[in-house]
Amino acid sequence: MERVAKVNIPKRPIWLGSLTIGLVNVPVKLYPMIYDRGISFRFLHKTDGHPLKYQKVCTKDQQVIPWEEVAKGYEVAKNEYVIFDKEELEAVKPESDKRIRLDKFVDYFAVDPVYFDRSYVLMPDKSAEAYSLLLTAFEKKDKAGVGRLTLRTKEYPALVHAYKGALVLTTLRYAYDVIEPQAFEELENLKEPEKAELDLAIKIITDLSGEFDITEYKDRYKQKVQELIKKKLKGQTITAEKPVQEEVKGLMLALRDTLKQLEKK
Amino acid sequence: MKEKLTKVEFTNLEKILFPKLEIKKVQVIEYYIKIAPKILDFLSNRPLVLNRFPEGIAKKGFYEKDAPQGTPLWVKTKKSYLETSKRDINFVVCNDLDTLIWLANIAAIEIHIPFSKVGSREKPDMVFFDIDPEPPATYKEATSVALLLKEKLGNLGIESYVKTSGKKGLHIIVPIFPEYSFQETKTFVHKIGRQLAKEHQLVVSEFNETKKPGKVFVDYLQNSHGRTMVSPYSLRAVPEATVSTPLDWSEVEKGIKPTELNISSVVKREKDPWKKIFDNKQRLTA
Repeated sequence: MERVAKVNIPKRPIWLGSLTIGLVNVPVKLYPMIYDRGISFRFLHKTDGHPLKYQKVCTKDQQVIPWEEVAKGYEVAKNEYVIFDKEELEAVKPESDKRIRLDKFVDYFAVDPVYFDRSYVLMPDKSAEAYSLLLTAFEKKDKAGVGRLTLRTKEYPALVHAYKGALVLTTLRYAYDVIEPQAFEELENLKEPEKAELDLAIKIITDLSGEFDITEYKDRYKQKVQELIKKKLKGQTITAEKPVQEEVKGLMLALRDTLKQLEKK
Repeated sequence: MKEKLTKVEFTNLEKILFPKLEIKKVQVIEYYIKIAPKILDFLSNRPLVLNRFPEGIAKKGFYEKDAPQGTPLWVKTKKSYLETSKRDINFVVCNDLDTLIWLANIAAIEIHIPFSKVGSREKPDMVFFDIDPEPPATYKEATSVALLLKEKLGNLGIESYVKTSGKKGLHIIVPIFPEYSFQETKTFVHKIGRQLAKEHQLVVSEFNETKKPGKVFVDYLQNSHGRTMVSPYSLRAVPEATVSTPLDWSEVEKGIKPTELNISSVVKREKDPWKKIFDNKQRLTA
């Protein structure tokens, strides 16, 4: 298995607690596992190249408002808010009991991936033996444990399963955050497919079935932007390049030819 | 990343510029790319006048002397005072392939050139005879007059060059050392025209006779500062997409038809009768 470069390993756990199954208690550290490493840009002032910052501006008089004067409001009716200050919300924050109690075991994909929110790696916290025991048991049974986890101000349902020789925790979305596809009218009058057509479709799917390798998929936009960045660093200017259309290909052929002739002159 | 063959950003390649033959802009650009090795010698270092048809030749085009808005910085331009406009004009100068392609991309279907170069605007390096038949006289009559003119110049020891106008006329050029004023070249052409008119019924030499039916006018008036002719190898904005094509005199004698010389045929022509025309600069002896 390919070893991940050290630089990619997060330095600090974002949560410390323990994983509990019945009487087994395993102290663990939670590390983020998902990063957004796509290309990101900063907004700059076009004319002088300086970065731009965001400011909170009051919609009444366009005044810039300092953080001390910022409160949170919940809109109960159009333009009508219930106002909270920080302390009030702090008081009702769910208490993190620093414990993930796994009280049910399911097949990992019994939970559809549409509910998967974010994954974290669990590492033993001076509990190597117990961690290893739990990991091996998960691997042997090929099951995922279901529990709850509180991170910052939010409590999440969570799944713990074995992945590439580690315990991985995945927070789940609540049912209210996921749309029910059957709410679409389009699905109401779907016809039963003809058998012959269905057989054909099944055959195609069978024939094209294969292994999935995520590394086959490259972020082509990111690659292109990185090439542009390299060019810019070398001081080359960049002209926007549109995808080459069929007609342009013909022009390029003619161009190559002419350039050759002009060179000879 | 792909190598970049041209600085030009192509636009609206699908636009139909010659509706009768359904010729798109992409084909016009392709024509100018292919003809570049032949046409560039005639364009280079001359302030150009463009006849542009962004909406195709069925719609009205416009003559443009000033470099249009949005002209890329890499396109060479030359400020020059134009008497007829009474102001400085920022002319486009086309010395390279990219500029030519850019001209095609802005639908400058016809490219017109003056008879003198940047830097010596008052000293023409070409003398221009415009052989212009008035109906019912046709290209055929223009041909006869062109051949008479060739002979007349030949008798003076002057070698002349001929091209189709792409319409019904013929253009005859004598490359000269840039030592004469436009007044002198104009007078020369006028004089030759008058002699021909005296000798041949078909020919008229005076401006007020140009509309005489069935006559062929030897136009001398274009030999002036700021006046132009359509460049050799320029397309013409006519339905048949003809090209103003340099000919061998033998082709004129055989009666080659101007419509045979068009956007698709001219690039295939091996002949380049005006090649090195400027290596044969002459002096006017009359």
